Amino acid sequence: MKKYFILVLIFNVSIVGKAQNTDSQKFLLTTTSRTFGISMPNVIDPYLSPLVYGGFGMNLNQENRRYFKPDNIRYSMQDKLTLSAGMMLNPAFSSEMLYIGANYGWGVNYHFRLTKGLKILAGGLWDVDFGFKNVPRNINNPINLDMATNLNLTGLLIYDYPTRRRTLHLQAALQAPIIGYMFVPQGGASYYDMFQLGSLSNAFHFSSLHNKRGLNQTYTVDVPFNHSTWRFGLHFQNLKYKANNLVFAHNETSVIVGTTFDAISFSGKKKVAPQNFMSTND
Amino acid sequence: MNSSMKKLIVLSLFIASLFSSCIDEPIVQPNTYKGNFEALWQIIDTKYCYLDYKKINWDSIHTVYKTKVNLVSTDDDFFDLMAGMLNELKDGHVNLYSDFNKSRYWKWFTDYPSNFNSSLIYNPRYLGDNYRIAGGFNYQKIANGTIGYMYYGDFSNTFYDNNIALIFQYFADCRGLIIDVRDNGGGYLDLSEQLASYFFTQEKVTGYMSHKTGTGHSDFSKPVEIKTPAHKTIQWQAPVVILTNRLSYSATNAFVCRMKQAPNAVIVGDKTGGGGGMPLSSEIPNGWMVRFSAVPMFDANMNQIEWGIDPDVKISLTSADETKGYDTIIERAISLIK
Repeated sequence: MKKYFILVLIFNVSIVGKAQNTDSQKFLLTTTSRTFGISMPNVIDPYLSPLVYGGFGMNLNQENRRYFKPDNIRYSMQDKLTLSAGMMLNPAFSSEMLYIGANYGWGVNYHFRLTKGLKILAGGLWDVDFGFKNVPRNINNPINLDMATNLNLTGLLIYDYPTRRRTLHLQAALQAPIIGYMFVPQGGASYYDMFQLGSLSNAFHFSSLHNKRGLNQTYTVDVPFNHSTWRFGLHFQNLKYKANNLVFAHNETSVIVGTTFDAISFSGKKKVAPQNFMSTND
Repeated sequence: MNSSMKKLIVLSLFIASLFSSCIDEPIVQPNTYKGNFEALWQIIDTKYCYLDYKKINWDSIHTVYKTKVNLVSTDDDFFDLMAGMLNELKDGHVNLYSDFNKSRYWKWFTDYPSNFNSSLIYNPRYLGDNYRIAGGFNYQKIANGTIGYMYYGDFSNTFYDNNIALIFQYFADCRGLIIDVRDNGGGYLDLSEQLASYFFTQEKVTGYMSHKTGTGHSDFSKPVEIKTPAHKTIQWQAPVVILTNRLSYSATNAFVCRMKQAPNAVIVGDKTGGGGGMPLSSEIPNGWMVRFSAVPMFDANMNQIEWGIDPDVKISLTSADETKGYDTIIERAISLIK
């Protein structure tokens, strides 16, 4: 079976990759996916408005996944960073809402290899959400912060589907928050009240399935071309949470496109590149 | 499709159903006159902070206006009807905003003497033509240069420490200072705190603030202290007189509430207009925005300040003084400082 090793430059770690030409030493590759998505979000934020705001958004996502050790391919770690933004309108088109958010998560998955080309990854992911929603025309309550941290249950179904010309990498990823902590202001509290006077009682809440439910679904297909592998897919986000008698919702459907590749990085004193890897630092 | 694949699909569907939401979202009223009326009534019913304090029977108002809604046939008529319903709250912080009109309640000052004539303060006896302007303040030395006079007409006009330091430096040889906040309808609460801080020598509790915690008319949080700090480097420690009238409203009302506790301050003029509830916003299905008092503020003795703050020295403009070009209230302030 033909192997693909695509070595790339990552961030400020200066590396130049060349195909490893020896089987005697194992290296851990990091599978990185970078995608861009165009989305249609629907948001309910009763602190800002009782109406459902809908519109368009975009998101950037980077996800890295690799095994912990070369000789143990049952456990892998993953981290992912998502930046998203959206501009939405109320149903009467008389008011707009801007949303900007970031989410970072780190997790561990166990690999179940069911049959050749089919495996399931199951595990957990801890993530941190930070964002804000802005309804500019509101007076004294124009902004609401999205702040939360969650322990999520994650699952991935991966299937390598061979076709005549290439093997497609199909992936279905599910993620659902189980427990966490979240910031939800009381509907009658102003940010002046909360942050100038320190009246933050009942603003931070323990969350679990009783008051926060959601499901992130991502369905992708990785298509290898001659020199790159492209990822196409759909992402569905459904999140609903309740605190202080306020029910919030964020539903979003995204069409995503991006690239995925395996990479290796050398940095620091302990992760020195072998002699046959040439760096511009050499 | 083999059996393991089927199991996986069933498992996925099970997980999806487990985590799909069943937290009930509130019902959004339809975009009809009746639906918009119900939405507006409900916003006030659950979020407005003075229904109990003002002894307003909001359920009764629902009954009265619900029958009227059935007779409405145009947006103009519906707007006027809803504006009328909101005016039952007698609150200058309550407005309905549509694309074609903005409702307002102004009787908190139109039913009272104005006690302010802008042409008077610009006559040569007070500001004159060559007054100085800094950070939203129009200021000048008056009473033969013995008293500083500052007119501040809008708490939305930002000022900085540097502005105040230079103004106080200009007034350094004055015996006292007059800050005129008549016809100042409010603005930023932050600025009211900042301006007050120049007249305190130590931090002091000058009021309290609460907010609604539930949908009940009396569901309020425990009041938290509003403290006025003493500015670290800029402090006016000579007498200061604050001039007020009924149009001293909202953030200005909050400023006067703080200055009531300042060591060398005297409030002179008419009772302030009030506006003690910090307003928040919401909207109804047709997209109209409503602003309403949501966060009640209290003075240092936990008295409501929604209806205004009494001056220490109550005095009104007299027509005799106006004829002579004198501002009765400024004259009284001068006499108090002298």
